[in-house]
Amino acid sequence: MNTSRTANVIRNTLILASLPAIVASQAQGQLRIADAGTNALEKSVVMIRSVSQDFDYVTPWKQMAMGQGSGSGFIIEGNRILTNAHNVSNNKYIEVKKQNLARRYPAVVTFIAHDCDLAVLEILDQSFFGDMVALELGGIPAVNSTVQTYGFPVGGRQLSTTEGVVSRVQMDTYSHSQADAHLVVQTDAAINPGNSGGPVMQAGKVVGVAFQGLRSADNIGYMIPTTVIRHFLADIADGKYHGFGSLGFTFFPGLHSKSYARYLKVPAGTQGIVVLSTMMHSSVENIFQKNDVITKVDNYSIDNDGMVTIYGLSIHMSEVIEQKQIGETVSIAFYRDGELLEQEATVALNRPILAYDRQYDVPPRYVVYAGLTFVPVTRNYLEVWGSSWLADIPFYLRYLFYDSEQLNTDRRRKEYVVLSKILPDEVNSYCLGFEDQVVDSVNGAPIRRLSDLPRALASRDTGFLVIEFLGLERPLVLDVEKAKIAQQRILEKYNVPSATNLEEQI
Amino acid sequence: MIRPFLTYALVSVFALLPLAGCAEPPAAMPPDSTEINISEAMKESLVYIKVSAYSFEMLQPWRSADLVERSGFGCAVGPNRIITTALNVADAALVEVRRYGRNEYIGAKVKVVDYECNLSLLELDSEAMGEPLRPITFSERYEKGAKLESYWLSGSGDIVAGRGVLDRARVRKSVASYAQFLEYVAAGTSAESGKGRLFSIGGEGIGIACRADTGRQEAGLITAGTINHFLADVVDGEYRGFGVAGFATQSLLDPSLRAKLGMGDGMKDGVYVSKVHKLGTGCDVLKVGDCILKMDGWQLDAYGRYLDADFERIAYDHIINSKEIGEAMTMEIWRDGKSMAIEVPVTNFKVSDMLVPYYEYDKKPEYIVTGGFVIQKLTRNYLAMWGEGFAGKAPPHLYRYYRNHAFDPGDERREIVVLTYVLPAEINLGYHRLGRLVISRFNGMSITCLADVLAAKVLNPDGPFDVIEFEQDNPTVVIPRAELVAADAMIKQAYGIRELSRVDP
Repeated sequence: MNTSRTANVIRNTLILASLPAIVASQAQGQLRIADAGTNALEKSVVMIRSVSQDFDYVTPWKQMAMGQGSGSGFIIEGNRILTNAHNVSNNKYIEVKKQNLARRYPAVVTFIAHDCDLAVLEILDQSFFGDMVALELGGIPAVNSTVQTYGFPVGGRQLSTTEGVVSRVQMDTYSHSQADAHLVVQTDAAINPGNSGGPVMQAGKVVGVAFQGLRSADNIGYMIPTTVIRHFLADIADGKYHGFGSLGFTFFPGLHSKSYARYLKVPAGTQGIVVLSTMMHSSVENIFQKNDVITKVDNYSIDNDGMVTIYGLSIHMSEVIEQKQIGETVSIAFYRDGELLEQEATVALNRPILAYDRQYDVPPRYVVYAGLTFVPVTRNYLEVWGSSWLADIPFYLRYLFYDSEQLNTDRRRKEYVVLSKILPDEVNSYCLGFEDQVVDSVNGAPIRRLSDLPRALASRDTGFLVIEFLGLERPLVLDVEKAKIAQQRILEKYNVPSATNLEEQI
Repeated sequence: MIRPFLTYALVSVFALLPLAGCAEPPAAMPPDSTEINISEAMKESLVYIKVSAYSFEMLQPWRSADLVERSGFGCAVGPNRIITTALNVADAALVEVRRYGRNEYIGAKVKVVDYECNLSLLELDSEAMGEPLRPITFSERYEKGAKLESYWLSGSGDIVAGRGVLDRARVRKSVASYAQFLEYVAAGTSAESGKGRLFSIGGEGIGIACRADTGRQEAGLITAGTINHFLADVVDGEYRGFGVAGFATQSLLDPSLRAKLGMGDGMKDGVYVSKVHKLGTGCDVLKVGDCILKMDGWQLDAYGRYLDADFERIAYDHIINSKEIGEAMTMEIWRDGKSMAIEVPVTNFKVSDMLVPYYEYDKKPEYIVTGGFVIQKLTRNYLAMWGEGFAGKAPPHLYRYYRNHAFDPGDERREIVVLTYVLPAEINLGYHRLGRLVISRFNGMSITCLADVLAAKVLNPDGPFDVIEFEQDNPTVVIPRAELVAADAMIKQAYGIRELSRVDP
C-alpha cells in the first residue's frame, strides 16, 4: 500500500550541517561560476550560526535548554540567503559569516518551509551583499553526472568542497519534518554535519541544497533538487508560505493482478492505481470513490506501481502534484464501473487529524485547568517518549497516530486533545491515572479542538465536571467549586504565566 | 598523615564486628528445631517429569516446529496420580516420569489440565509404576512467616531440598492465563524454584511452585487451596474449573467521583466497575459505572480488596475462584445512587470462547490457505510473535481487539479472522505485500469466525472470483476461481503444505 501513513513513520535519516558551494552567475549575469574558480564561491557561500530553543510539549509554557549549531547557506537573487529550515528552526538568534572575514552579520528568517526544509534569510545590514554573488538555479542533474558540494562542515572553518556522482533521483522522506516526502537527489559526494544548506553545483549552477544523509550507510547523501527549491521560491512570491499540497487520497498499486483489473471493470492492459480512501474535507472527497482506478494525472500516464515518467525518469506520481501550488488544479482520468471519467481536482493542504509532521517555530498551545494540562496531540508531544516513542507511547495514542484518519468519523473534529500533565494539587490528587489519555468530552460536550475546552470547562458553576477519555471507561470527575478556587493557586505555584495559549499560527 | 589512618581504622573496627559474628562456625549455633529434613519421606512422593512437546510454527501453521524436550517436577496426590503445573505438560506429545531409585521412565497420561489455574493431574501407568506412591496432603492453613521446605526429585535421581519463608499471599495473574488467582510468595528461596517443586511445612504441602524469580530469590506458589479445589473438582469425573470475573474494576479513591456517584461521605468502600465483558462471572448483570460494595458478604475496599481471615487484604478474585461453578454469590452494588443486592452465578468459560484466545495449547492451530492467501484467527500467540513488548510493536488495529475486546465475543463476531500474509505465486501477483488485515467479508458474507471462510468460499458458485474485503482502508483481494485449483496445487507443493486448511468443527 502506498499511503502517507505507512511512508512516514520512521526513517533512518540524519540531518546534516552546512556545506558551501561554487560561485554562480549573479542575477545580472556579471560573473559565471564555471569561469570564476574556487575563490568565486567564497562570495556566494556563507556559514550560518544559530541559537535555538525548542519548546516543551508537555508543560508548554516552558522552553527547553538552548542549543547552538552551524550550517551553510548561499546567496540567491534578491539579496537573500537560501539555507535549510533545520539550520534556523526555533531560533533565537542567527548570524552569518563570510569566508575569510571575521565580521558576523545578524540575520532574520523571512520565510521558512519546514515541509521541504528550506528557508530564506535576510541580512539586516544590506552592505553585506555588496561583494557577494548570487547563485543561479539549474535543473535536475543526470544520474551518474558529477556534482560538487560546498559548505562549512564540521572539522574546520574554511569553505570545504567535495565531489561525487548523482546516484538516484526519487521521492523520499524529508527528515526535518519526518513526514513530508518530496523529490530528492542522492549523491555519493561526502555530505557531513555542517554541510546542510550549502549548494550542490554542476556546470556553474545550483542543482540542489545538501540537507540529509543516511545514518546507516557510507557516502549516501541527499540534496533538495531545484524543482522543490523553485516551488518554494514561487510559493513565497506573494509574501506568504503556503506549503506543498496534495489531493488527499490513499491508493493501492494493485493492477498487477489481472483479476483485480477485471473485477474493477478496467479494460485489459490498462495500468493505474486503485483508490482506497479519501481524506475527510479533501478536494477529492466528493470526486473519488473506493475502487476507482486512476490512470492519468494531467498528461502523465500512471503505471501499476504508481509511477509516472517525468524529467525523463520514472518517479512517483505525486511529483506531478508537487509541481503545483496550493489552489491550482490537476486533471485526473479514472475508471469507475467500466466508465472512463475525467475530473479537475484542486491541490490543497490536506493535513490529517493527527498530523505526522514535527512542528517548529510555533509555541505549543495549551489549557491549564485545576492543574490539568491539556495540549493537542502532535508528533512533538509523542516524541517526548524518546527515541523509541512509537513503541513506548500509551496504546490509544499509538492507535491514533497510525489510524486517526480511519478512527475519526466526526467531521467537525480539528484535532485530538490529550491530558499531558497534572500539576499536583489537592484538587487533582486522585487524577494520576488519566495522564496521557485523549479527551473525548467534558460534561457531554465533545472536545474537537483545544479551543473547545475553555468553554466546556466553564460550563458549570457548581457540581461536577465529568471528563471522559477515549478508550477509557472511567471518567475523571472534578468538583467545580474546588477547581475554581484551586485554579489561581496552581498557576502561581507552578509559575504558569497564563492559563491558556490558544493562539493558532499557520 | 596519621589522622586518615585512624579514621580508617575506626571504621574498620565497626565494620568488622558484625562480620566476626557471622564467621562463627555453624556447628556452634544451636540447632533450629523448626527445620525438619524429611527428604527420606519424600522419596515415595516426588517424581521427575520429562515431556516431549510438539508445537506449530505460528506463521506456517501447517508445519510442526522442532520437538521440544523439557522437564518439570511433580508430587503424588494419589497412589498413581501426580500433580504438577499445566505449563509443564503444555502441548505434550509424550509425558514420562521417573521415581526415586528407579532408572526407567514410566508412561503418564494427562488426566486433567487447567491452564487458568496452571495445574494438571497426571495418571501413571499402574502396571509400570510398581509400588503405589505416597500421596502428599496439602494444608490450607496459612502461616505467614513460617519456614518452608521445598523438595524435588532431580533429573539425576536425587531428592533435593531447599528452604524459604512464607512471605506473603497475593492475588495476581496466573502464569499461564488471564485469570487472577491467589498465590503464595516464598522468599529467600535458595535456587531455581519453579516448575512444580513442592513447598511444605513439616512435610505437609502448602503449594507447588509456578514461578521463580532467581534475582529476588522468590518463588510463586499455587496454593494448597487452589490445589485442593482442583483435586476435588476432578473427583466427580466432570472437571468444571474455577470461576473467573466477567468484569474489570478500577480503584475508587476519588472523593469527587464518589460524590458524583451519590455516595455519601460516610461510604469509604467499594470498587468501580470499569468494564463488563461478555464472558465470566457477573458479565450479564453488572454495568459499567456500578460500584461493588460487597461480594459474598465480604466488604470490598476502594481497591477491590477484602479483609480475608487468613490472607489479610487480597483482591476479590479469590472470592470468585473459591466458589464452585454454578454456585450463587450475592453482590451488593451501588447503582444509580442507591445500594442493591444482586445474585450472580459463578461462571467460567473456555479459552476458545474468547474473541481473542489468550492461549492455544494441546491443539493444532487452525488456518486456511487459498490462492496463497494465508488466513488465521487472531490469538494472543499470534500477537506475541512481535516479541517482548508486543503491545508497542504489533499493528494497533489488531492489538486493540486483544486489549479491549478479548472477552467480548458476540453473534456478529466470534473470532477475529486475519489475512496474515501471502505466499507469493502468480495467482496473487500484486498482493504479495498484503498482511495483518482483518477480514470483514468473503464473497459478500460477513465473517464471524474462521469456519465462515470455508462456508463463504462456496457462495456465488457461478461467479468468476473469490472476493475478500477487509476492515479499514485496504484493497479488495480478487482471486480468479478458474485458476484456483491449479494454483492451490502448485502452492501446496512449492511451500510444502500438506493440507490447505485445518479448521476445527
